[in-house]
Amino acid sequence: MIQSVRRAGSILRELGSGPRPLGVTELAERLGLAKATVYGLLRSLEVEELVERDVETGRYRLGPTLLQLGNAYLDSHELRARSLLWADALATRTSEAVRVGVPNGPNVLIVHHVFRPDDSVQILEVGASIPWHVSALGKAIAAHDFEEVRDRLLEGPLPRLTGRTITDPEELRRALEEVHRAGVAVEDQEAVIGEAEVAAAILDHDGVPRGAIGVAGPVERLLPDGVARGDLVAAVKESARGLTRDLGGGRRYARIR
Amino acid sequence: MAVVERLDVGFVERWVREAALGIQAQRDFLTQLDAAIGDADHGVNMDRGFAAAVARMDEAPDGLPGSLLEAVGSTLVLSVGGAAGPLYGSAMRAMGRSLGDADTFDAERLLVLLRAGLEEIQRLGAATVGDKTIVDAFLPATQAFERGLRTGEGLPAVAARARAAAEEGVLATVPLQARKGRASYLGARSVGHQDPGATSTAILFAALERATAGEGSGP
Repeated sequence: MIQSVRRAGSILRELGSGPRPLGVTELAERLGLAKATVYGLLRSLEVEELVERDVETGRYRLGPTLLQLGNAYLDSHELRARSLLWADALATRTSEAVRVGVPNGPNVLIVHHVFRPDDSVQILEVGASIPWHVSALGKAIAAHDFEEVRDRLLEGPLPRLTGRTITDPEELRRALEEVHRAGVAVEDQEAVIGEAEVAAAILDHDGVPRGAIGVAGPVERLLPDGVARGDLVAAVKESARGLTRDLGGGRRYARIR
Repeated sequence: MAVVERLDVGFVERWVREAALGIQAQRDFLTQLDAAIGDADHGVNMDRGFAAAVARMDEAPDGLPGSLLEAVGSTLVLSVGGAAGPLYGSAMRAMGRSLGDADTFDAERLLVLLRAGLEEIQRLGAATVGDKTIVDAFLPATQAFERGLRTGEGLPAVAARARAAAEEGVLATVPLQARKGRASYLGARSVGHQDPGATSTAILFAALERATAGEGSGP
């Protein structure tokens, strides 16, 4: 291990832990390092544009290069690149927001987000990491994953985000069986009160889920009377099937409908 | 200024009207808070919902305090949207149910009503103090209300304590990282921002304080 690389990583994480720029003294205290050491690291990171220094206050914040690296990371997901057109089309067809997620340990990482096509202010959720069991994307992925992966996910932890979050592993297991059977996952205010999501898994040529695509929005529009609207389910499944075909997984998908 | 001893449907109506005025006055501030960690629609949504609740009161006759609260709650669920609509609307409905078909009620019953609202919000959201939600203002306010009652203070003083506790709770949300709601999976970006939900709750407790002063527009 190269110690200075690890320390530089710690500095970047501290600067990313909140919106406020941090001074050398504060960073040194938080990391338990000498001020001179932190200063040297910050100067090197500044040359690489990984951090930037506020001219007036002398405090440091994250630098613009990180945004480019973040975008490069997102682009490294083949699924994201392939999902752009499908996601746009799905958002237009359903008039709702569309999210594409990939499995990331016990979370779903949102790699693409198309805003609901109205003029409301919305917040970009790309980069958000959502516990798999509170997300239709996560449940769609888990339902089609290898049994040992599913078992590990069900072992938890399964944090409760709302009163409707399913935290009982057996209840979740039964829900995943139903998702597998139906080919679509539904989330009903399990992550955020008032919001729902309908999603389907995207499989590769080996039938392994690489991610999921889904429609997210107000529960009263997506699940009138508590049940997912038929036209939404059809549109989501069609998009997932299309993406699955793009990844060369068409025949496998046909098998699970 | 007249001090209300027996609370009736007129008191509930004053509370809702004061809440609507308070929300309207703070609409842009709430939206600004929400823009930092949410959808930037909290102020607009709450204003629309409470305006609809006032319009509904203007149209329909008073009825009983419990049924008025339930009607206001249903209006909020339908017209606020987002997470705030179901949370505040369901809380108001639970408050109304707790009154049953009583014509009037006292301060003890008002405490029961507040507790019913808090319980409903916690049942729906599974949030506790420190999660950076409505609960961070609602729970301490309800506790302060109870403490005030137990010390034998009059209702206006008790309501003032509750409002002050709600406002303290709001300020305490600033350094917190959200553990519930959409802000929770945005991670650290929520740190350093005052929670919009807790803020609107404090506005509702300020409205309650003004409603207890007898006439709606009192200082």
